[in-house]
Amino acid sequence: MIAAITRAITVAVLILLATQVEAQQRGAYRAPRFPGTQTPDLNGIWQAVNSANWDIEPHVATPSAFPALLGAIGAEPAGQGVVEGGKIPYQPWAEKKKKENLEKRFSHPTTRELNDTTGDPEAKCYLPGVPRATYIGLPFQIIQTARQVLLSYEFASATRMVYLDRKPTAPADSWMGWSIGSWDGDTLVVDVSALNDKTWFDRAGNFHSDALHVVERYTPLSPYHLMYEATIEDSKVFTRPWKISMPLYRRMEPNIQPLEFKCVEFSEEFLYGHLVDKPSK
Amino acid sequence: MRHRFLARMSPLPVVAALLLSAQGPAAAQQAAPGSTQKTAAPAPARFVVPRTAWGDPDLEGVYTFATLTPFQRPAAQAGKDVLTEEEQKTLEEQLKKKLQENIVTNEHFSYNAIWFSSDEGRPTGRTSILIDPEDGRLPPLTERAQQLRAEMQAHAATKRIGKDQLVDSWEDLSIYNRCIGRPMPRVTQEYNQGAQILQTPGYVTIFYESMHDVRVIPVDNRPHLDSAIRQWNGDSRGHWEADTLVVDWTNFSDKQKSDGSTPFGGFPQGNLHVTERFRKVNATTIDYLVTVEDPTIWTRPFTFDLPWRGDDPTYRGPDDLFEYACHEGNYRMVENSITAAKAVRKAQAGKK
Repeated sequence: MIAAITRAITVAVLILLATQVEAQQRGAYRAPRFPGTQTPDLNGIWQAVNSANWDIEPHVATPSAFPALLGAIGAEPAGQGVVEGGKIPYQPWAEKKKKENLEKRFSHPTTRELNDTTGDPEAKCYLPGVPRATYIGLPFQIIQTARQVLLSYEFASATRMVYLDRKPTAPADSWMGWSIGSWDGDTLVVDVSALNDKTWFDRAGNFHSDALHVVERYTPLSPYHLMYEATIEDSKVFTRPWKISMPLYRRMEPNIQPLEFKCVEFSEEFLYGHLVDKPSK
Repeated sequence: MRHRFLARMSPLPVVAALLLSAQGPAAAQQAAPGSTQKTAAPAPARFVVPRTAWGDPDLEGVYTFATLTPFQRPAAQAGKDVLTEEEQKTLEEQLKKKLQENIVTNEHFSYNAIWFSSDEGRPTGRTSILIDPEDGRLPPLTERAQQLRAEMQAHAATKRIGKDQLVDSWEDLSIYNRCIGRPMPRVTQEYNQGAQILQTPGYVTIFYESMHDVRVIPVDNRPHLDSAIRQWNGDSRGHWEADTLVVDWTNFSDKQKSDGSTPFGGFPQGNLHVTERFRKVNATTIDYLVTVEDPTIWTRPFTFDLPWRGDDPTYRGPDDLFEYACHEGNYRMVENSITAAKAVRKAQAGKK
């Protein structure tokens, strides 16, 4: 009798230990499931907290472009960068083009041709593209259902739809690209193609061509964190694929909701000011 | 005023309730042995709104709110709120013919009829989208609104030379032409009238193709934003009343005014209060019933009823809603408008 009880206890303890070991091996946080599905629920309002929008490469703090006007406000904070290995592997011509982008980032686009080739698209309130939309400094909301994910960004009310249940073909290139999603365990993998050549990675002039292909991974780390990784491929501009990564933080204010940052009206004087003889106001 | 409207609408749920309660006794009669009474012909099956996995009415889908029915009732149809089947058929044929003629004769315009042809919707069978006031016409303006309108018309007149409406600055363009937004609530517009509804626990999200506007509507009873926060697209709060999503919509910006392209646009929207009712009435259609109030602009509220159709070949699925990059392609339009205004003014000065 006693032997039987001892055996039962031993078996119970072994089962318990095995379960714990398995949980430890699995290690990772298991996100709650979206109702009615077996897939993780990434719904929420998320935001990157870093200075990647200033420069995705490592950088020191720098005064604003207009210190006489703005003082210390608008100065660029230092950052360790989000590029794996630190440097973007540019082809030699592209390295030069990046420097030129930086120098001319605030030149007024006095012709349409100049507008197409010069200046930070953020200053013009143009759709920010991928991956910049993720870390442009404003929150975004993941609206995930069983069949698709709508990414709704505060910046310029930019959006993109991630198709989960099928793989429609992109009808044309676009600013925010064409996103096909799939699940790798608890990670949402998004293949982004059909991006145009007009967006930048940051305010430092880091750029790409229309051959850009981005593969993003959104991995839940806790109820409050996602790890964001993006592999960047563009054989016209870079010597090899490269990767950025950063955590995204859930906005925890109980009343949080994305507000409008419809910046078109903030960009018009910059874009069209040269066309009117005197300021309109 | 509101009561009158509510009284008008209330028969619907009452009829539904009667149909439901009628089923009980009818079934009992069938089961009762010896009953000689025949049951009446079965009532048309009432559409049962599907539920989401967490139990909310399921409104998800891709829709278009395009329709060829005018917002206000044309004078020729005064006193008549619905068309007969024959009139509807004639109207559809006329519209089709007009469209074909337009495609043939209008090919030199950048936005010709081909642009619109797949996105024009269908007539509803009613003579106007507006259902209250009962005459299908917008209520009279308040004195303030009349004054505002007169001021706007006087301002527009200062910008007009001959038939040219001059654009001296981007600020002379409408909010829509500047690619900032479309007046809300959305009614029939020229094109890109697609919208998608997505639902997640605690939220209903509406994604409008035009201007890539997203309204994430909390359905968790939280209060509205602080009244200091005014937005182009306002602030929406939803709740469920049986199968109907009711959205209370406030906190609009006074800046949302310079676009007279909607039938009730052209006024500052700071005092606007909109109540939307979304109800799925069959497998593919949402009945979108909207009451608009602003006692500083209209002498009484008005209500319109616009179907959101999910069976339109233009919008079969989410990938038919394409990126609406408007501002990004607007450089030449603004440049040409301002340059043209300068040329007209120069020519005018030369004539004097």
